[in-house]
Amino acid sequence: MTGPAAAQPTTAAVRRLAAVRRSAGFATRFLGRTDGLVGVIILGFFAFIAAFPGIFVGPLEDVTTATGLPLHAPYAAHVFGTDELGRDILNLTVHAARISMTIGLMATIITIVVGAVVGIVSGYVGGVLDTILMRIADFFLVLPTVVLALILAPVILDVIGAGAEFGGIRATLLVIVVVIGLTSWATTARIIRSQVLSLKERMFVDRARVIGSGPGRIMRRHILPNVVNLIVAQAVLTFAGAVFTETTLSFIGLGDPVAPSWGQVLNTAQAAGAPGLGAWWYIAPPAVCVVLVVLSFTLVGNALDDILNPKSASRLRVVDEP
Amino acid sequence: MNGRYLLRKVTQAIVTIVAIVLLMFLLFRIMPGSPDRAVKRPNITIEQVQALKAQLGLDKPLVPDQLVTYVRSTLSGDLGYSFKFRGQPVTEVVADAIGPTVLLIGLGELIAIVVGLALGSLSGWRRGGLVDRVGNGVSLILYSMPYFVIGMPMIIIFAAGLHWFPTSGMTTSGGSSDAVSQLVDLGSHLVLPLVAVSLGLIGGYSILMRSSILETRAEDYITTARAKGLPDRRVLWTHAFPNALLPMVTWIAISLGYVIAGAITLEVVFNWPGIGTLTVEALDSRDYPLLQGIFLLIAVSVVVANLIADLVYGLLDPRVHA
Repeated sequence: MTGPAAAQPTTAAVRRLAAVRRSAGFATRFLGRTDGLVGVIILGFFAFIAAFPGIFVGPLEDVTTATGLPLHAPYAAHVFGTDELGRDILNLTVHAARISMTIGLMATIITIVVGAVVGIVSGYVGGVLDTILMRIADFFLVLPTVVLALILAPVILDVIGAGAEFGGIRATLLVIVVVIGLTSWATTARIIRSQVLSLKERMFVDRARVIGSGPGRIMRRHILPNVVNLIVAQAVLTFAGAVFTETTLSFIGLGDPVAPSWGQVLNTAQAAGAPGLGAWWYIAPPAVCVVLVVLSFTLVGNALDDILNPKSASRLRVVDEP
Repeated sequence: MNGRYLLRKVTQAIVTIVAIVLLMFLLFRIMPGSPDRAVKRPNITIEQVQALKAQLGLDKPLVPDQLVTYVRSTLSGDLGYSFKFRGQPVTEVVADAIGPTVLLIGLGELIAIVVGLALGSLSGWRRGGLVDRVGNGVSLILYSMPYFVIGMPMIIIFAAGLHWFPTSGMTTSGGSSDAVSQLVDLGSHLVLPLVAVSLGLIGGYSILMRSSILETRAEDYITTARAKGLPDRRVLWTHAFPNALLPMVTWIAISLGYVIAGAITLEVVFNWPGIGTLTVEALDSRDYPLLQGIFLLIAVSVVVANLIADLVYGLLDPRVHA
């Protein structure tokens, strides 16, 4: 484009080109990560199961549909065996995928939205607000979700009533979602805040301020796009944690027996004495699913974090700044 | 470590504990129902209800009177009476369960710290070597497994299948009375849950230690040590290892909360008579005073562990002053 005759590319076109080049670079780097790819494939498989459970096992009429022998090892009619009520384990496990994944997804959304908003506002506004928000974050960093959930979940359930429904989702599941979301945003907020602290000293933020942009606009139009990378990587890691936490909470009896997740299936397996009876077929399918999903999210999250996060050191979910 | 750092950390810990106590106070006031309602005699008069309220202190305003009473009795160790264990003070019920849990978690932490740190160090030191590839893979899988998912197959294989160890409990009832055989009995019950706790922890410790060693490996003093002609093992264990240990101090304290949460599920699986089994009993019977007591115990332990970690960190790393 040296001559004056050559068409000047518009700013928008330049931006588009840069975006394409960036995403191409990202794709190449992600494809180079075997661990991330394996994770994506496994997650794709589980997402498919969660979306179309009918394709794999046919409809689960109801969790009360029990057509097999009670607690029986795999046999011709039920190739994955049955539980103590004669329900097909394969059927239960496949249908639990949707519950586990949905709870994980919703909890992740709450966590990330709260974490991102707190992180950006705290970092950009600073001052007293920053101090207050970060003290609150410290509180949630010290006390892990499961411990807080022990006391929050039953109280909230008693206040609103376990049978209640909100938008077709049973209260028990919703409480787990909200409790996980409200107690695990602190890590995300910390990570994003530290990035915002360095971003707000950059020239483009000063420039925006000089031409009269208000703090709200600067945070939305200038800060947010620059932390999206971090948010994406953090969201995937949060998903792993959310599925893990949901499984633990359901296992200790805070789940919903009417809409069983993998953790809930394991809870009934424990209650039926499956481990002591050597009923491996009852435990293995839901357990393997949980581990595969959590592992895949961790693999993908770490890969994304290495590629997208400038400060990444693949430090799991630990926030070790004093 | 200077006085200001010490003061700041101690203040933070106290503020957190105050916040926890306030949270509990609030939570149990927003719950429906009131203690005077629990007395459901058909012919009870308004005056009698008033008298009961006065006796329980419920006629006084929530703040400050009820709050002051609450804080005072909490500080003096009066946590009320358990619903499930009729008549027994919560403090006594909880105290009885501490021993087994401390035994399990304490020994588990010890094993996991030794094995996890050694595995992580060797993995990081020989990045890409056999130990690294196998060790890091295994660590990631372990890290993705909820504790009870590690424990359940162990029962199926080693207790129900091979009969090497008992399936549950801490002692055999009606066993021999002499000290040696009692200890052997305890030991055989302890093996499986202990290995499960350790395995659950080793994953996280080893992954973090690996990345810490990787960072340390690039430091100048390591190059200097090598240049002096020191044997490789010596560079690793006397130069790299102690320095890489620093971030682990914080991580071990932060993870204590997760360990307790995980141990709760493991105790259920192994029917171990500790805090975890007690928690689930309290959850199942909605024994709120007991649940409150357990939550307070766990929360305060976690806060104190974090405080100790901060102080140890301050002692080990004189650069920490901020």
